Amino acid sequence: MAEEGELKKPAAMEVEGAEAASKPRFRMPVDSDNKATEFWLFSFARPHMSAFHLSWFSFFCCFLSTFAAPPLLPLIRDTLGLTATDIGNAGIASVSGAVFARVAMGTACDLVGPRLASASIILLTTPAVYCSSIITSASSYLLVRFFTGFSLASFVSTQFWMSSMFSPPKVGLANGVAGGWGNLGGGAVQLLMPLVYDAILKIGSTPFTAWRVAFFIPGVLQTCSAIAVLALGQDMPGGNYRKLHKSGDMHRDSFLNVLRHAVTNYRGWILALTYGYCFGVELAVDNIIAQYFYDRFGVKLRTAGFIAASFGMANIVSRPGGGLLSDWLSSRFGMRGRLWGLWVVQTIGGVLCVTLGVVDYSFGASVGVMILFSFFVQAACGLTFGIVPFVSRRSLGLISGMTGGGGNVGAVLTQLIFFHGSKYTTETGIKYMGLMILACTLPITLIYFPQWGGMFVGPRPGATAEEYYNGEWTEEERAKGYNAAVVRFAENSVREGGRSSGSQSKHTVPVEV
Amino acid sequence: MARRQAAMASSLIAAVLLGACLPAPAAAGVHLSTLTKALAVTASAKSGQVLHAGVDKLTVTWSLNTSEPAGTDAAYKNVKVNLCYAPASQKDRGWRKSNDDLSKDKACQFKLTQQAYAASGGSFEYTVARDIPTGSYYVRAYALDASGTQVGYGQTGADVAFDVAGITGIHTSIKVAAGVFSAFSVAALAFFFVVESRKKNK
Repeated sequence: MAEEGELKKPAAMEVEGAEAASKPRFRMPVDSDNKATEFWLFSFARPHMSAFHLSWFSFFCCFLSTFAAPPLLPLIRDTLGLTATDIGNAGIASVSGAVFARVAMGTACDLVGPRLASASIILLTTPAVYCSSIITSASSYLLVRFFTGFSLASFVSTQFWMSSMFSPPKVGLANGVAGGWGNLGGGAVQLLMPLVYDAILKIGSTPFTAWRVAFFIPGVLQTCSAIAVLALGQDMPGGNYRKLHKSGDMHRDSFLNVLRHAVTNYRGWILALTYGYCFGVELAVDNIIAQYFYDRFGVKLRTAGFIAASFGMANIVSRPGGGLLSDWLSSRFGMRGRLWGLWVVQTIGGVLCVTLGVVDYSFGASVGVMILFSFFVQAACGLTFGIVPFVSRRSLGLISGMTGGGGNVGAVLTQLIFFHGSKYTTETGIKYMGLMILACTLPITLIYFPQWGGMFVGPRPGATAEEYYNGEWTEEERAKGYNAAVVRFAENSVREGGRSSGSQSKHTVPVEV
Repeated sequence: MARRQAAMASSLIAAVLLGACLPAPAAAGVHLSTLTKALAVTASAKSGQVLHAGVDKLTVTWSLNTSEPAGTDAAYKNVKVNLCYAPASQKDRGWRKSNDDLSKDKACQFKLTQQAYAASGGSFEYTVARDIPTGSYYVRAYALDASGTQVGYGQTGADVAFDVAGITGIHTSIKVAAGVFSAFSVAALAFFFVVESRKKNK
């Protein structure tokens, strides 16, 4: 038993079990579930921080590929003779593939683990990226953007992986940084592609060839990152899924059960809707913003790319900031704080979006408002995934997938209604999009956890986290111990009850706000 | 938290001030409707003829309309010839819209030549450039005064627009590279799956 003292740092939160002899050693402090209780951004410690770096970088590369076309549109549209309708359709296609891919990915994570699931989808979509270099018509443009967009499903594996590696007090931050730094790709690419294009032109290419060659950069990055995930990644602190299933440490769940518990949880559906109006809006803006600045204000291609990039680049701090804010609110007010934080931040994002559509007469004001808008809308994404890990334990992957898929549905709907063809000017579309954000954020007021409360209602006395999560298993399943992880998670989630809930997980105390 | 709020507030104020300080929009340009259509312009391409970018040539000829009163061309110093998108190529493409205000017009983007004006007229043989996109076009010639401002114009009719077939920009090497890289990605995935099952069965 003396070994335990050496295995863990004294600052770690722990509930010692009798499993000390088989406990793996970690370089980071961990909780009873072997999940890291700290987040060391600049470390590559295996398996926790290495999983973080592998997942955010591979997701970043998927974003690079999915949004590689928009900054080059002024060239692509001339080469292929695209109309505004063609461009709008392809923009919608680029985010619609991931709607179902994300839900499927959630299931895949639940069943085979995030490492294999994410690497598979990433490697299988790279051919679409490479083939973007040889398209010759509007329909082939639409097809490559559609298939490339499937890779955005790797978002779900990112969040699932972080939720498996990091303890509840840090899960918001881990999810936020991984998601945010991945989304960064949507911004970085708006800067990267015009630069790559210019470099290729200088080497001596013609414009209509240079943009084609440029697509190989995101393609190669995507291939390499997925190979790194396969070679260096690990599903859970204890090992990969295959190994854990074999040794019996982890029960191999059935798809139908996972599905049933996900679709019957109304909170998953509400979060899917609201995520559509923070993340979905972010995707829609990634697709239209470079062209908007280029056409409305007559700036150069590179300048439009730079401005569009700053929208996505805010993700470096905004989404992690949202995650951090969620964790901080939880430390003071519990889950109710997380819910309020999400509603307030996303509503402000909506107001700023309307403002962006209204200040189109001024270039400077448009840029300024856009930057503010990006901070709020992306922070809302981070706040959303501060809540998702708590909705379900059995169907964590699928709930993450539904929420992520809902994000893409929002992107599809928004582009279809407001940025398709020539019905609305882009600035009018942006204004209406903001109004829709305000409306679709209201359902957050309806989310209620019996053990922690909702936005306007306190927790039910006597309700516990264990009851809530154990409710996802039947008596026989509980008897067989399939829900073992639930007890540990419930204990580690004590803080979601708010400051005054103390360290007793068996009781809930009304939260003082 | 407070620091972030303060940073956001100050950046909002800065953005608004910056917007307010921006220079007034540039003075409106010359309007096409105010110009005299004094030039007669013809192009060697027939209606519906297809010219290949980088290969085919187009000859543009212009002269003063005989019906114009004497002295109309007193101010004409130079002639600038542009290639313009025909309405068929402008449909559903807001970035190619025509505008009466020539400083905002986006339909006549490609300059073919600028030459000194001669009362007897002039011509120019143009090899279609490799960056002209596929589409339907007509030709417009502006008469410029000494300061370079448009004072007259002429154009071939948009109903006799000719077509240009632009280059695709695809080389064989790109096709090969796309195929090779795609195959490699899928093969890498298959490789890891095989390795995994071997480990599992061991």
